[in-house]
Amino acid sequence: MKKALIIVLILSLFTKLSKAQNFTFGTATQQEMDMTKYAKDTSAHAVVLQEFGESKMNVSSDDYIKVFFTYHVKIKIFDNKGFDNGTVQIPVYNNSNTDLYEDVSNIKGITTYKDDNGLTRQIELEDKKIYPVKENKHWANYKFALPGLRNGCIVEYQYTIESPYWENFHSWQFQTDIPKISSEYDVHIPGFWNYNASIRGFLKLDKNTSEIEKECFSSGGAHCDCSFITYGMHNIPAFIEEDAMTAPKNYRSAINFELVDYMNPYTGAKVRYTKEWKDVDYQLKTDSYFGRQLKRESLLKDRIIPVIAGKTDDLSKAKAIYAYLQKWFKWNEYSGISCVDGLNKALDSHSGSVADINFSLINALKAAGLKADAVILSTRENGSINSLYPVIGDFNYVVAKVDIGTDSYFLDATDPLLPFGMLPLKCLNGQGRVMSLDKPSYFVDLITKQKQKSTYSMEFTLQEDGKLKGTIINYSIGYDAYLKRKAIKKFNSTDEYIEAINSRLPKLKILKSTINALDSLDQPVGEIYEVEISLYDKVSNGNFTFNPFFLNKITENPFKMTDRLYPVDWGMASDQRNILTIHLAKGYIVATPPQTLNVEMPNNGGRFLSTYDPLDNTFTFSNIIQFNKGIYSPDEYPYLKELYNKIIQTEKGEMVFKKK
Amino acid sequence: MRIFIVITCLLLFFKAADAQENYDASLISKELMPYATVVIRNSETTIEVKDLSNVNYHITKAITVLNKNGDDMARLIVEYDKITELKSIKGAIYNSFGKQISKFSKSDCEDYSNAHDFSLFEDARVKVYTPSVTEYPYTIVYDYEYRSKQTLDIDKWEPVEHTGIAVEKSSFTFICKPDFNINYKASNLAGKPLISTDTHGLKTYTWQLNNQKAAKHEPFSPYHDSFLPGVQIAPQNFTYYGINGTYNNWEDLGKWEYNNLIASRQNLDSETIQHIKEITKDIADPKQKAKKVYEYMQNKTHYISVQVGIGGIQPFLAADVDKQNYGDCKALVNYTQALLKAIDINSYYCIVQADNDYTIGLQNDFPSLNQGNHIILCIPFKNDTTWADCTSQTIPFGYLGSFTDDRNVLACTPEGGKLMHTPKYTLKDNVKRRKANFAIDNEGAISGNMTTVFKGVDYEYRDELINEPRTEQNKMLQKIYPINNLLIDKLDLQQDKSFNPSTTENITLHARDYASFSDGKYYFLLNPVNRIEETPKEVRNRINDVYIARGYTEEDEVTYTIPSGFRPEKEPLMVSIEKPFGKFTATMVLIGNQLTYKRKLQFIEGTYSKDTYQDLVDFYQAIVDADEYNVVLTKN
Repeated sequence: MKKALIIVLILSLFTKLSKAQNFTFGTATQQEMDMTKYAKDTSAHAVVLQEFGESKMNVSSDDYIKVFFTYHVKIKIFDNKGFDNGTVQIPVYNNSNTDLYEDVSNIKGITTYKDDNGLTRQIELEDKKIYPVKENKHWANYKFALPGLRNGCIVEYQYTIESPYWENFHSWQFQTDIPKISSEYDVHIPGFWNYNASIRGFLKLDKNTSEIEKECFSSGGAHCDCSFITYGMHNIPAFIEEDAMTAPKNYRSAINFELVDYMNPYTGAKVRYTKEWKDVDYQLKTDSYFGRQLKRESLLKDRIIPVIAGKTDDLSKAKAIYAYLQKWFKWNEYSGISCVDGLNKALDSHSGSVADINFSLINALKAAGLKADAVILSTRENGSINSLYPVIGDFNYVVAKVDIGTDSYFLDATDPLLPFGMLPLKCLNGQGRVMSLDKPSYFVDLITKQKQKSTYSMEFTLQEDGKLKGTIINYSIGYDAYLKRKAIKKFNSTDEYIEAINSRLPKLKILKSTINALDSLDQPVGEIYEVEISLYDKVSNGNFTFNPFFLNKITENPFKMTDRLYPVDWGMASDQRNILTIHLAKGYIVATPPQTLNVEMPNNGGRFLSTYDPLDNTFTFSNIIQFNKGIYSPDEYPYLKELYNKIIQTEKGEMVFKKK
Repeated sequence: MRIFIVITCLLLFFKAADAQENYDASLISKELMPYATVVIRNSETTIEVKDLSNVNYHITKAITVLNKNGDDMARLIVEYDKITELKSIKGAIYNSFGKQISKFSKSDCEDYSNAHDFSLFEDARVKVYTPSVTEYPYTIVYDYEYRSKQTLDIDKWEPVEHTGIAVEKSSFTFICKPDFNINYKASNLAGKPLISTDTHGLKTYTWQLNNQKAAKHEPFSPYHDSFLPGVQIAPQNFTYYGINGTYNNWEDLGKWEYNNLIASRQNLDSETIQHIKEITKDIADPKQKAKKVYEYMQNKTHYISVQVGIGGIQPFLAADVDKQNYGDCKALVNYTQALLKAIDINSYYCIVQADNDYTIGLQNDFPSLNQGNHIILCIPFKNDTTWADCTSQTIPFGYLGSFTDDRNVLACTPEGGKLMHTPKYTLKDNVKRRKANFAIDNEGAISGNMTTVFKGVDYEYRDELINEPRTEQNKMLQKIYPINNLLIDKLDLQQDKSFNPSTTENITLHARDYASFSDGKYYFLLNPVNRIEETPKEVRNRINDVYIARGYTEEDEVTYTIPSGFRPEKEPLMVSIEKPFGKFTATMVLIGNQLTYKRKLQFIEGTYSKDTYQDLVDFYQAIVDADEYNVVLTKN
């Protein structure tokens, strides 16, 4: 009896100690109630007064060891534009295929407000107004709206998520779209488990302490100490998104955890999860949804015999296999680096995830005797990867790499319009990791030769009536060809596509048109139009003013802000050329030639070049807009903006044709 | 005996298999191919009312998908909820030759929540089957059944839901007992329904649509209901979530809704009633009293959509809103009504179809439940019927805007339903008037100030800017006004929330390089801030009338002070066009170093014949040309 009492006492002492970090639920100070603005950001519609989170590992009521994450926040809402902060969604992973699922408990909410008579009152969230929704087979959501919101109120809520997924140790978002006065995350990690913690974003921790908690974890007779680590920040500014940036989460301040290894508390066996790339390599190679799926050449062997029949060189074999599987599969929109349904089912149903499809491709290439590996990567939307040590959770996409001679090609068979060796824009996000089955994995740059490029060659004769007659030849090359094919395929037929361009440009009449290489993915798309353009309604005193940039004229600068915090990320370099040749009607001369200009960004970052070559009663006017990089740092931003400014300035200029 | 049954079943099965159509894609008539992305080969919809709380829906459909763009339309989507029970789903996929390549059933479907994005909670779910075929054309054939426990809201038959769909054969059969009376309305369908009695003595109504060509998108089309075929059915006797009713007209339906959904939901506690009396006691004018109450409600509540209870059409209790401070449109109107009742102001709960692009009214000639998606409030002051939307924290009392203007609504009152019409904003009301004084200096920089007044439906145009931080406002203004290098020195936004509301924007700005110089010439865009840059696309063989939902007037006057000693090199801008649907004038005058630009654009609301469309495109083209007029000035 005495013993039990002591244990209880110690335990309660402990809980008291650790609770001391959290703040008491349902209290709002007079000062907090009286706040009308947040002094450090007077434009904020709401501010987090205090935010506290805690993760620990414990044995749950169903006897599993789970991660318990408790979240508690108190938010001051200044005006109705901040009311969104009173509506809460708690998403939980809920895999119906297994009995492992995350659960939410202890949801509590309270609003403190001043009533019509200026008295401070509180209203609690009712349990029956918490709505659990099963969104789909993987996710459920707990949703609620806090009651009693008014301008100036304080909302407070807390909840606990129990998760059986040790590898998904809860991350912590210090920075969100409203400012925070104080944010703290406490983690208690029993010695049986090892995690890597990584911090993202530009902000620094104001508090980072760690201590040992004795005997804090026990299960089935096994027990151990815990590391108790506290991460804290004060006065966190709101995160503001910018145009043409990659995933905001690359820049938002947050802390993430990656499971390294753990010791099974019951057996004492050590299980390595991730530590160094060699561990990841081993783990993925033996994973039944990754490495094992990459050794299934036999599944594809028979299928590809007719595909590569008669092909002698490796490149044409690879191209044939790629084209065959592009056609075979329809991507079911699932991403991820592991198979979802497995190759068998995917092949049978013609449908699969990114991994299902690209693993099939790798197997098929290998079955044809080629050297092919999987490359795991993180898409632009998913954010950048940790380059210091492996964080496998960062990766969400997998493509194939095939080596032919001295060349390597990246392949993604999920999109039937991608040419051999081209990755979709979403994949161009720094580096990918080549997961070779027979040698250590390594990083590789994903952006190599890919570019988007288009050329317009126009040759017109200027008629007496002011009409231009002639041809426009447009070649879309590289990634532009891919985009062009996508645009054309949006129509039921090329006729409908041409009708659509024609009807969008009322001044341009297409007399004849040809589209070349629409289905030859390796080639540029060529569009050849015989046109008549009515640029003038009337011709007055024999003078024409004419803007030589009438096609593809840029009038608005995409960059408007004076300066920028984050890089401009277009993914790849681009190049656009226009060559305009005009034969003047008899008796006409060029009275005012077009402006010519050559501006370059520092370090060959990009340029705008225009040249004018007159010859008898013909002239050629060419211009080039080049951006040689996919990513521009904030330092380069002013040059980028200025280049656009110069382009717009120049393109305003008009030529004048005069009758002799 | 058992064997006999099995054999009969088998025979039936074979018969069914025999009866199977030939889905060879090459059999589709060439006539149906233009603009078609999918072709509905055959579609049969059968609704059988077995009794008031048991309606069986049976749908079979065969869709040939001609190319990748049709995949979305081939997807099978079946909705269900608490009172709609899915009975079966089965289907098969055929290749272009009509050979079956796979089959599917209910267990192959994904199951999702079907709540609207704007809702916190709705009891709506959906089963979805997405075919996965990479060779086109292919055909998906499916057959599903569900049972609904209500007879108030019968699904509308819409054989063509979208552009790009051609129909070979489609039919709709409604089956009921001979004494079960319905009202129905068929739109854009040739011929009358076939009404007959089947072998079980049940009454059947059948409509058909055959060989319908695919429609293409035509800009400025009227609301699709007015040109797409469809059949609506409204039973005269019904049961809905266990409540019975009868209706033959809007009056009956409005009365049923008032009595069953609203009447008992408006009680408030005495403290709230007292408070409302208190805050209005010094106001004499009833309209000003109502305004006070409305503003009280606006300040206290916000919009949260939770759809539970009777089919999502019954409001929360007013007392609940009073406590929670939130609700959806129903709940907030019901609550406002309760507050008004506390000071003896009578008001109506009105059902409306809210839509910014089309003014779709409830149909005069066909009363039914599902014609509205929103609730607004009407206060019938003597000779001054006032309207209010209760879901916004900011709009003025008495203001509806483009969301619910100029359309039929159903007022649900204790005396019965009444069709009423919301106020219309004409081209004289919807006004955007701008005056700017700019100076352009020797370097080409522009600076000056600009005042814009927004009225009518335009009143709301700056709502997203109000109360935003200055940095955000600047970013938004840089997007609204296409002046490169634009910097805002000062911004002042005022909203007049009177019964004739207006928004006034005052901006002081500057921007470098607005004008560019070369060869002693000076170039700049005459219209700095209000340009139309694209014309609507041309349409060959247009089918639909031209519809302009709302008239409006834009007036801009910009005075530039330019460096002296320049003269215009080309003819000054001078455009004046007048058409039945609109007027446009744009002029430029240079006197000394003062260049004055005036632009006026008016659109006149209405429906115009389809032949007008080319005129409209030309009209837009003339505006685009005028708006991109480049001033070229040469040194004297």
